[in-house]
Amino acid sequence: MIWPALGLSLLVTVVATLLIAAIGLPLSLLLARARFRGRVVVETLVLLPLVLPPSVVGFYLLIALGRGSPLVEWLGINLLFTWQGAALASAVVGLPLMVQSARAAIAEVDPSVENAARTLGATELRVLWRVTLPLARRGILAGLLLGAARAISEFGATLMVAGSIPGRTQTMPLAIYDAVQNRQYDLANQMVLIMTALAFLCLWLVRQAEYSRRFSSASFLPFMPVRRSHD
Amino acid sequence: MIEPLLRATIQKQIGSFHLEVELSAGPGVLLLFGPSGAGKTQTLNAIAGLSTPDAGEVVLNGKTLFCRGPEGPPVNLPARERQVGYVFQDYALFPHLTVEENIAFGLPPDVRHEAPERVLELVQTYQLDGLEQRRPLELSGGQQQRVALARALASNPQALLLDEPFSSLDAELRRELRRELRNFLRAAHIPVVLVTHDREDALALGDMVQVIDGGRCLAQGEPLQVLGQPGQGRVARLVGVENLLPLRVERCNSADGTMVCVGEGAPQGLRLEVPLADCREGEQVTVGLRASDIILAGEEPRHTSARNRLQGVVTRVEPRPPGYEVVLDCGGVPLCCRITGSSLTEMGIRPGQTLWAVFKASSCFLVQE
Repeated sequence: MIWPALGLSLLVTVVATLLIAAIGLPLSLLLARARFRGRVVVETLVLLPLVLPPSVVGFYLLIALGRGSPLVEWLGINLLFTWQGAALASAVVGLPLMVQSARAAIAEVDPSVENAARTLGATELRVLWRVTLPLARRGILAGLLLGAARAISEFGATLMVAGSIPGRTQTMPLAIYDAVQNRQYDLANQMVLIMTALAFLCLWLVRQAEYSRRFSSASFLPFMPVRRSHD
Repeated sequence: MIEPLLRATIQKQIGSFHLEVELSAGPGVLLLFGPSGAGKTQTLNAIAGLSTPDAGEVVLNGKTLFCRGPEGPPVNLPARERQVGYVFQDYALFPHLTVEENIAFGLPPDVRHEAPERVLELVQTYQLDGLEQRRPLELSGGQQQRVALARALASNPQALLLDEPFSSLDAELRRELRRELRNFLRAAHIPVVLVTHDREDALALGDMVQVIDGGRCLAQGEPLQVLGQPGQGRVARLVGVENLLPLRVERCNSADGTMVCVGEGAPQGLRLEVPLADCREGEQVTVGLRASDIILAGEEPRHTSARNRLQGVVTRVEPRPPGYEVVLDCGGVPLCCRITGSSLTEMGIRPGQTLWAVFKASSCFLVQE
């Protein structure tokens, strides 16, 4: 019971984190730099899952993904009671953490440094990739890891959208609830320890992203070498 | 007359502030001189393409970079296509890149294959040898300035803009770097527009100067003329003319080309001989006099060609690096004099002492209020 649940948890978390990155980064850039009507409304909507009960978020998702929604009617995609649905629910709940941290980091980048790049002939894409994102990287990575940490421990919204089907949608937090309900305390103990270790790892990485010098090199992603002027 | 290489007319409304300047630069260094908030940086941003004027035109080497208004069809090239180098206030270096990467950033894509040689050349020109792998935060203020200059010039810009290049440096370093910067700017052979609010920067660096305040150009010309003996009261105050004396024309002496002006109210009266101007006798005038044009003497100087010899009592001595400011009370009128530390020590100047202030009639100039 432990291993299928752990595997599902990791799968759901990885997919949720990718979703958070794909949606959160453009959204953070937009909120940090663009001036448009309704910016505050958009920002508040994105942050809402942070304070709403997960059951409410789950209920909205249930409506959005259920019978009668365009997703089902037009595309024939049914995400209810699937692990993909669980990943989507986790992403929605983790997104605010990413956006908050990344938006603040991007807003803090000195506009005159970006302007300097523009006067040096850089296109907007090059400004973004070589200046803005590298300078905001710590905040972006910290936000992404916080989002991932939130996603791995998602319970309420996932339960509403994906249920708790062992081997199909039952992630660790749901399996722990089940184990306690069935008085399998040994099993619960083991899973609780694993969850605690995973959450600790995520938060430890967040601190690393915020403080470590390893993350302050020239390329946006630490493992991506910068093209130096030598080659 | 030589056709200016860079020509700009800019109009822009920013809140309640209205910017309306016209400038032409090059060959050589054009200084924009004025207090903070005068619109100098806004002017540079408009030339560089970082902000869009409401109306106007920017032309560089015959190529229109920006145009909006009756001058021609609308043009607004983005900053990256303008080939205008910009050295920002506080330099705006890329903090996450090394010195070498900072300099190489602006190299056009088609010359990136020869980047190492070009970067090496710039590193040597701007005396950055050994610092190639450092990050900007590990450099001194002067080194950062040189990196910013090398970075801006790496892409062979057609014009260079500098915004308060010395604002983050201390006074001593400023003096040292002024000469260095002047040599670099002369060597660049492109029109340079430099913004400053420091009179000494302006005198040391500029070929031409334009005084800007409240979004408007107040005066322009050669630095020594505009900043040394400014003809307008507002300009005189901006450039810090230390002595602005309200006087009355007593007698015109056209044979000598001078006129005698006296102060009001004072018992024995302040009596100055100033260059002849188109003034009626009895007219009220303001006479400007730079503190550094006054010679102090311990006893009354005789047999001197200087037309003005005033006796006064020292009321104040204050350090004004690199020298000292001595304030004399000349018959109720304070007179500011600037002398070196050596003179101060040799003459043993202290408050209460009686001294003579000596200056030529031609050191005085009339200021229009």
